[in-house]
Amino acid sequence: MSQFLCHDFKTPRTDMSRRLPGSMRLVPVLFYVVSLATAFFIFKDVRDLQEAEKQRIASVKELEELTMELTKLDEEKSKIDNELFRAQAVAKWVEGTRVLQPITVAIARAMPPETNITELSLERSPDLPAQISLLVRMINATVAEVPKIEGAVNRLHYRTHSGQQAKQGEQVEFRSMLVWQEQ
Amino acid sequence: MWDDIKSVLTFAAFRPDADDPDLAWSKRFDGRKTLLLNISRSQVSWRSINRRGKLDQSGSHEGDLADVASQRGEEWRALTEGGWCAVSLNNRFIISLENGLMRADNLSHLLRTNPRSVLGPKYDRGKRYALYHHTDTTASMLLACEDSMIKVTEDVLRGVGLKPGRICCGLFAMMEYAIRSIAESSRGQAPGSYLLIAACEGSIAALAQQDGQWRDLRCRSGLGAEGVETALQIVSPLVAKAPPGTPVFFVSDGQDAAFRTTLMEQLERVGARDLTQDDLMWKIIGEH
Repeated sequence: MSQFLCHDFKTPRTDMSRRLPGSMRLVPVLFYVVSLATAFFIFKDVRDLQEAEKQRIASVKELEELTMELTKLDEEKSKIDNELFRAQAVAKWVEGTRVLQPITVAIARAMPPETNITELSLERSPDLPAQISLLVRMINATVAEVPKIEGAVNRLHYRTHSGQQAKQGEQVEFRSMLVWQEQ
Repeated sequence: MWDDIKSVLTFAAFRPDADDPDLAWSKRFDGRKTLLLNISRSQVSWRSINRRGKLDQSGSHEGDLADVASQRGEEWRALTEGGWCAVSLNNRFIISLENGLMRADNLSHLLRTNPRSVLGPKYDRGKRYALYHHTDTTASMLLACEDSMIKVTEDVLRGVGLKPGRICCGLFAMMEYAIRSIAESSRGQAPGSYLLIAACEGSIAALAQQDGQWRDLRCRSGLGAEGVETALQIVSPLVAKAPPGTPVFFVSDGQDAAFRTTLMEQLERVGARDLTQDDLMWKIIGEH
């Protein structure tokens, strides 16, 4: 009785279309699958984007912190460099300074006994401590005493520059700039 | 265009068309509520089918279809989804026996679209037809229903927001069903004789088969509740003509129990078997 179909004499419709074949069910099924997949990937991408944005903000913040730290370090470095420069200048100055007493002794010993040194002046240049302005005034001396002074000074590793000698009566005056020679 | 896309995406495009007469009612409206109407001359009765495909609410109203529809239209619409209903016409039809009519696979389609090609000179422009063929002979039962009545019925139902998905004759459907049932129950036996009497809401049809041949068919529609006597007058000659011992089958449906009881009382005298089942006509038009 299952094949029995009741008759029908209603007014036939002309706009009836054929049903789509069953295989076409794949179309909506694929549509829903693709829609779900798209929604999943959109959701995943949005989550990833949010995560990336958070990471970017953290990175920017970290970069700012590092930049600030770097600036601080640069400031400290420049301070240290300043200190170093100044220390080097001081060290250089200190290194340039030499004890004056050996020069005095060497010049005094270089003089013959009859010669009297009336005045011996050693002035260190404040800017260039390695340079010492020498003034020697002698009585009973000749011009020949000057090379002795120069020799004595040279043995102490000083070189004389711009030497000037003058004789006024019995007094001989010798001026020169002593410059320390590095060995 | 949007409706087409929507129907594909909701899989509606792959489901049977609600208006497709080549499919059983239950297949067309699987999981949907529908309404079944039985329209008689002076009464309209109805049953609803719920989403599980079971018969649900029922009712009847005395009066012409147009009057009843105007009063009950809203109630009917609430019993359906999409307004679809199946209509059984129980008035202004006639069933006759014909011989040698065309038999083809697309016969029902041809009868709806080009009945002249099937019926030839028997075709009447003012009628619509349904056919049921004898399985072993060239005989056919031909149902002819008034075209104007069908159109009026369609218009009235459309006017109250209902869509007639099927318009049929409940009595003819019961005849078809009963003939198939009898044929199935006697399968493997020699073609026999029987007398089949079907009644539905005051309409009656009687078919006599003798030695496997349909011999006579008598039908009256729209007798009404007071038509028991007329019904007996229709049936009596067939009973009288039938050879002694011919099985008599009776099948009926309808609101009027008195009509049925009185008729069955008379038929019991000739040993009639009552094949009637509860809601038979509703089950036939609501499932098949």
